[in-house]
Amino acid sequence: MSIDEASPAVKTAIDALTIAKQIVRGGEVQVSVSRERSANTRFARNEVTSTGDVEETEVTVSVALGKSHAAASTNQTDAASLRKVAERALAMARVTPEDREHMPLVGKQTFVPVEAAHDAATVGVGAAARAAAIGTVVSQAEKASLMAAGFYEHGASESVIANSAGLFGWHHETNASMTVTARTADGTGSGWAGAESHRVADVDVPSIARIAVDKATRSAKPRPLDPGKYTVILEPAAVAELLSFYINALDARHADEGRSFFAKKGGGTKLGEKLFPESITLMSDPTNAATPGSPFDSEGIALRPTKWIDRGAIAALRYGRFWAAKQGKEPTGWHDVRQLLGGAAERPEDLLVGIKRGLLVTRFWYTRWLEAQSITITGLTRDGVFLIEDGQVTAPVQNFRFNESPVTMLANTDAMTKRTVRAPSRGGAWHVPTIRTHEFNMASSSAAV
Amino acid sequence: MTVSRREVLLTGASSAAALAAASCTPSPIVAPPRVGTGDDRLAGIVERALDAARKAGATYADARIVRRRWERIVTREDLVVGLHDTESYGVGVRVLAGGAWGFAATSRVDERDAEKAAIRAVEIARANAKIVRHPVELAPITARKATWSTELRIDPFKVVLGEKIELLLELWRAVRDIPEVKHGNAHIELLGEWKLFGSTDGALLEQSITRVGAGFEVTAIDNAHGDFVTRRHEIPPWQAGWEYLLESSLRKDARGIGDDAVKKLRAPSVEPKKYDLVLAPSNLWLTIHESVGHPTELDRALGYEANFAGTSFATPEKLGKMKYASSIVTIYADKTTKGGLATCGFDDDGEETQRWDLVKDGLFVGYQTTREQAGWIGEKRSRGTAYAQDYKSFPFQRMPNVSLAPGPKEIGIDDLVAATDDGVLVTGDGSWSIDHQRYNFQFGGQMFWKIEKGKIAGPLRDVAYQSNSPEFWASCDMIGGAKSWRLNGALHDGKGEPSQSNAVSHGCPPARFKQVNVINTRAKSAHPEKREP
Repeated sequence: MSIDEASPAVKTAIDALTIAKQIVRGGEVQVSVSRERSANTRFARNEVTSTGDVEETEVTVSVALGKSHAAASTNQTDAASLRKVAERALAMARVTPEDREHMPLVGKQTFVPVEAAHDAATVGVGAAARAAAIGTVVSQAEKASLMAAGFYEHGASESVIANSAGLFGWHHETNASMTVTARTADGTGSGWAGAESHRVADVDVPSIARIAVDKATRSAKPRPLDPGKYTVILEPAAVAELLSFYINALDARHADEGRSFFAKKGGGTKLGEKLFPESITLMSDPTNAATPGSPFDSEGIALRPTKWIDRGAIAALRYGRFWAAKQGKEPTGWHDVRQLLGGAAERPEDLLVGIKRGLLVTRFWYTRWLEAQSITITGLTRDGVFLIEDGQVTAPVQNFRFNESPVTMLANTDAMTKRTVRAPSRGGAWHVPTIRTHEFNMASSSAAV
Repeated sequence: MTVSRREVLLTGASSAAALAAASCTPSPIVAPPRVGTGDDRLAGIVERALDAARKAGATYADARIVRRRWERIVTREDLVVGLHDTESYGVGVRVLAGGAWGFAATSRVDERDAEKAAIRAVEIARANAKIVRHPVELAPITARKATWSTELRIDPFKVVLGEKIELLLELWRAVRDIPEVKHGNAHIELLGEWKLFGSTDGALLEQSITRVGAGFEVTAIDNAHGDFVTRRHEIPPWQAGWEYLLESSLRKDARGIGDDAVKKLRAPSVEPKKYDLVLAPSNLWLTIHESVGHPTELDRALGYEANFAGTSFATPEKLGKMKYASSIVTIYADKTTKGGLATCGFDDDGEETQRWDLVKDGLFVGYQTTREQAGWIGEKRSRGTAYAQDYKSFPFQRMPNVSLAPGPKEIGIDDLVAATDDGVLVTGDGSWSIDHQRYNFQFGGQMFWKIEKGKIAGPLRDVAYQSNSPEFWASCDMIGGAKSWRLNGALHDGKGEPSQSNAVSHGCPPARFKQVNVINTRAKSAHPEKREP
């Protein structure tokens, strides 16, 4: 892979590993370095409110003496601090009891470089460009007599992993995101839009502003609707939010131990069971141009394309290194990028066809586990819920609390857009379509706007 | 492998270096010289940053040098699976220029880099000033030169590592012979925050804050029925020294946690309907946090958090007028509560910390403010609630400790149960979620007990209560006395973009709430409901 030898992160990692190996004689040493430059501007009530600009390098030294292990981290990169952080990890490893499940270091690997994850134009964005972009949003909001709040952030990061068994990995990437919430002056309407990408050029500020303004205006004075089970069209932010719980529940060990949705009554797992329609495929692939990501995880495992759901069947569970070795499987590593493949609908509007009565949902809020056995999640709709009647979006409606499982959501999905988009999310990168699903459990009403 | 306390200590004594480590966890990677020790290098760096900001045209500036330590020890059953010590150090400079904020930070704590950060912060402020219509105005302050630190007897960062590990392994040993209890996860978390704050108003404040937390959760499994439950210990994190954990019920209660898990696994599933709820302090704290703490943040109420955490039903025109709760309810904010996670001497604006009412005898009477916000509601002085999680974060309004005042009668949880005919007692916190204006909430718990005719009739499972903040607080008809008041809290409460973590406590006695909607969390099948073709 191509490694930027001049990168300060690479230099820090090499220095830290050299120093740590001198200190930890006869033990295993792994060094992880992350270097991040990020800047942001926040706005609310049509004005800039706060801002940030920081460059930071964090060094983590992990030490294992036999099966006793510990780690220490610092953001100080001078030689004396690198020495101290290695000494600290060593001192802790020395007094730690053996962890019989500790795995030896991952040795030398070949990683597929993901150069597409780094975009030079994104590195060059500054405070003036952020302020100008926010000016665009504010002027659109003001023209529509709305109040806009939002967040614009961009950054560049490098990660390096190196260890005493010969592993070396380097990855760099950029990110940019903007989200906007526009609210009506009377407080009865609220609309949200956002974009996230590794390329700042994909963050189409005028378009984000236009969608947020349009949704806010159309969502004013919503009417109350009874809770119940509804056919829903979920926009990408809502789809990604609920699917993140499915991904988090995929741990193979928990399934084998009988404490997971993926455990079968009486023993075994649901691996291979076809729970979803043929159209559902959920996968991770860091080399996918839509969601380029690191080719290795924090343990140095090479991340290979993995289908979690393949044409409706549960195709993979996530294996850590210990459990994979015990069960005779390959470890999957921890993927940060995910794609739910799209369907056949040319446009989101096509999903409306045939819906007698349903809801269009923009995004979810405050999603939390409610019941682990069925991956039932609670949360609320937010910033644009609309009634669908006879295939038409007819009126804004009040928000709901839902108690629902992503499993049920996928099982009842019967149409998706062909196009998938990167949904702003709370972690990792998600590329998903807009979906139509049925019997979605809106459990109670919320007066929140 | 099970390791005894003796073995851990002996292992630690096997070499001179390890002995040093075992008897005294390694010293910080950076050890900032304390103010008043004659070494004023750091005060000089702060002054240099402030000077540079002034020269670049800032009308106000503050600089914070912050060292943050985070130690986490994690066990699973009899294994130590994680031991990680993290330290960050740096200087953040916040400035006002042209009426707008600018902020920049660096992890290199020296005069040259602090000066560069100050100049960059002023440049950013000037870029932001171009789209500012309402210049920031700060409430006046009495600038002080002072120090403050957590009251503690034993610095947890200096405690023998083996002792910490042993404490966690002991918890698993207490439950491992219970057949249904197959798994146990435990952890200790220590947070150390040292900071030096200086401002162009003349403040110079050094503070050292130490927070300790521990957790223990077991999983009981019934494989034959494909069923499992978890039960988590209810011990709260505190701002305190190591002695807090030693003197707590962490060890004493461990066996009971395992027994509870089995009771919960076999308990009948709750019948969903309205019940009178008796909420223990270990559950009610989180409900206070979400339904009173967050709604009374002034920035949120005015729309400053609209894009992320949302707004609030408690808007300024309702101040002094809205009935927030029944007349027996008084809820106050207090950044001086002993043991409170948000307690400190001065906030990150340099304002002295205070106690004040948010809800007085049921009426909405107060907000949480910073220097920037006080003037927004016509107040002359900030409530002192600005906070930034570390050197690289922008300080903004964060929740102080928010607590429910005890009732006048010295009654406890048994009295509340005895007075209840058809109810549910909830202890510990579980699933929690609230809407973005803080109306509709739904909370779970750890243990649920059916109350029939004033007596505990047995455990229940699958309980969550769902209500609306003003309706819920209006239904409060009994509050325990001062002796039943307990301080719970969380080490990591998120707010803002980028999200920052704030540690905050909530004190309360047990309280009763009439006719609250209880749902059954397993009412839906564990298997997907296939749609009828």
